Amino acid sequence: MNFKSRVVSIMLAGTLCAWSAAVLAQAPAAGAGPNGATPPAAGAPATAAAPAAAPDAPAAAPTAETPPADFKTLDQEVQGMKKDVIDLNKDLFVLEEELLFPANTQVAVYVSMDVGAFFALDSVTVKIDNKQVKNYLYTAREADALLKGGVQQIYLGNLKVGKHELVAFFTGKGPVERDYRRGATVTFDKGVGAKYLELKITDKVAKHQPEFTIKDWE
Amino acid sequence: MRGVLLASLALGLSWAASSPAAAPTLVGKEAPDFVLKSLDGANLRLSEFRGQVVLVNFWARWAGDTRQEMPALNRIHTTYERAGLVVLGVSIDEDLERAREFAVSMKVSYPLMFDSGSDIGRDYLLQKMPMTILVDRSGVVRYSHVGYKRGDDRLFLDQIRELLRE
Repeated sequence: MNFKSRVVSIMLAGTLCAWSAAVLAQAPAAGAGPNGATPPAAGAPATAAAPAAAPDAPAAAPTAETPPADFKTLDQEVQGMKKDVIDLNKDLFVLEEELLFPANTQVAVYVSMDVGAFFALDSVTVKIDNKQVKNYLYTAREADALLKGGVQQIYLGNLKVGKHELVAFFTGKGPVERDYRRGATVTFDKGVGAKYLELKITDKVAKHQPEFTIKDWE
Repeated sequence: MRGVLLASLALGLSWAASSPAAAPTLVGKEAPDFVLKSLDGANLRLSEFRGQVVLVNFWARWAGDTRQEMPALNRIHTTYERAGLVVLGVSIDEDLERAREFAVSMKVSYPLMFDSGSDIGRDYLLQKMPMTILVDRSGVVRYSHVGYKRGDDRLFLDQIRELLRE
């Protein structure tokens, strides 16, 4: 992680703390009534009505019913706060991506695999402008996930506007269990918007060979 | 007065001597994830063993204790594999070919993997070889052992049993 990333992470952590504090502060206030009292929950009106209906009833009867109502309210508040935290986490994740990888410089590279009868994926190396940006080793589970239709984001980074070259090297086992290494190259124009590239591994049935292509998503 | 001064000095020295021993460890922290190629060609990722107790042994063919430790770890692996223990051996040897030859000669049944220039050594704060860490079912480093001496495997066993019971 470079210095810029660290600074942004620290800022985000600070923001999260501030937001969490705000949520915690608001949670009781949101649940409180206009006078700051605990709002009557589902069981509360019945509790309030009970003494009026039976004034001579022992005091223990209403108090025995009150705690579950309080617990229910508390549980609802806790669940609400948990949901708020999850929402905040999601917002922070999006914010972090937007800050670290702004749309005007963002480039994302994905890997997908179709069929895979002629190729067992072992690793992918990605080079952008002759600089290695990623080398990824696939476990059997990950390769299976790709075969089942999964799409993996292998790289997310920043690039200046202009022409760039991406080279991807695929290694694995080819037809008849032979070691296989192939490359694919694409030259693309990075505009002002985010750039998405997909490294596709497909089977070329006619040739009984795998095919490696790079798709430039506009 | 002189006696008090000498006692203070002795205390200070013993404290100073004990301080460097408290080298940074990963105990209590999440084990850094890694993926490496094993001797049989399969790629193994640490995080895929989440839910099992994992013993990660960092070894090097030039570390003398490795020859003693590997057979002991192999016995532990064969005994506790069915109970949910995973043993992974990670070589940090720069000479891959010689590391592979050494690995084959040791004839162990647990996976031996090879780190060729990644950041694992730095991530795991490796100080001396061999080094063994124990990761619990939730992926947290619970014990870290630097070096190996005869009898250490009994300590490993106690800790493994404790983690397997959790």
